[in-house]
Amino acid sequence: MGLYEWLLVFHVTGAFFLIGGVVIAGLLNASAIVVDRPPSQVATLFGLIRFALPLIGIGMLFTLAFGLWLVHEAPWNYGYGETWVIVALVLWALAGWLGSVDGRYQRGTGELAARLAAAGDAPSAELNARLRNVRALAISYGSGLAAFAVLGIMIWKPGA
Amino acid sequence: MLAAIRPDSFNLPLFLHVLGATLTFGTTATVAILGFAGTRADPERSLWLRGLAFKIAFFVLVPAFIVMRAAAQWIVGKEYPGSTKTPGWVDVGFIVTEPGALLIIVLLVLAFLASRRPAFRAAVAVPWLATIYLVALGVAWFAMTGKPGS
Repeated sequence: MGLYEWLLVFHVTGAFFLIGGVVIAGLLNASAIVVDRPPSQVATLFGLIRFALPLIGIGMLFTLAFGLWLVHEAPWNYGYGETWVIVALVLWALAGWLGSVDGRYQRGTGELAARLAAAGDAPSAELNARLRNVRALAISYGSGLAAFAVLGIMIWKPGA
Repeated sequence: MLAAIRPDSFNLPLFLHVLGATLTFGTTATVAILGFAGTRADPERSLWLRGLAFKIAFFVLVPAFIVMRAAAQWIVGKEYPGSTKTPGWVDVGFIVTEPGALLIIVLLVLAFLASRRPAFRAAVAVPWLATIYLVALGVAWFAMTGKPGS
């Protein structure tokens, strides 16, 4: 295996970590929303999302760093100014920005659920409203969709 | 220049294959996380977490696995038609997905039983089977991308 193949291995590993982490967070988040749950269960599910965060962080780093290196090393004369590279970078940045906005909101929701669980675990309209906030859900799932869109860009490479 | 990489007709099956593989990875990891969390929780919470692990395995992992495997067969059929010999890195994919399907079936059966019986001792095997499959998926994506020996 040469340098190009090793770079591809680390780039794809980053993609698996990033999208895998997004899937973990998305599934745990969706599990908290699809049915009305007591705050203690919501707190448990949001607490488990922490295991996805290192995967997403490493995935973001690896996809970008090894991706940019791959553009330089690939034997097909790719350039950093090509449409598919620019679109992928914009979507990557959008996914990261939306993800960080969503992360702050979800952390607040998890903390509220934990407080409510400690205070008797009674159902809460405030918690339900936060869990089903349309704007927050759009940001959350928009971040995930941007990551999936990068995957499509990597395969079709429009303009290459 | 793109023709040097792969024909356009390979893009859709490749996208579906990678999409299915990443979804399979994320879902398997979720099942492992819920399963391990279930082993450390009180009996009531443990049963709920195990039930959630089973539902996610049944409703998300199985479809993701099918997309990954069917798209793999589609692209192999295009790239190595008929009785053309497949390279070792493709065979690694078959080795991971075919016994992998059996592992997922066992995982589903155990996860179902674990979600119904509070005292089901084999419940602890569910997150470990998921973890083993995560490692196998890692081996497969290394072989698929690095193509060692080719």
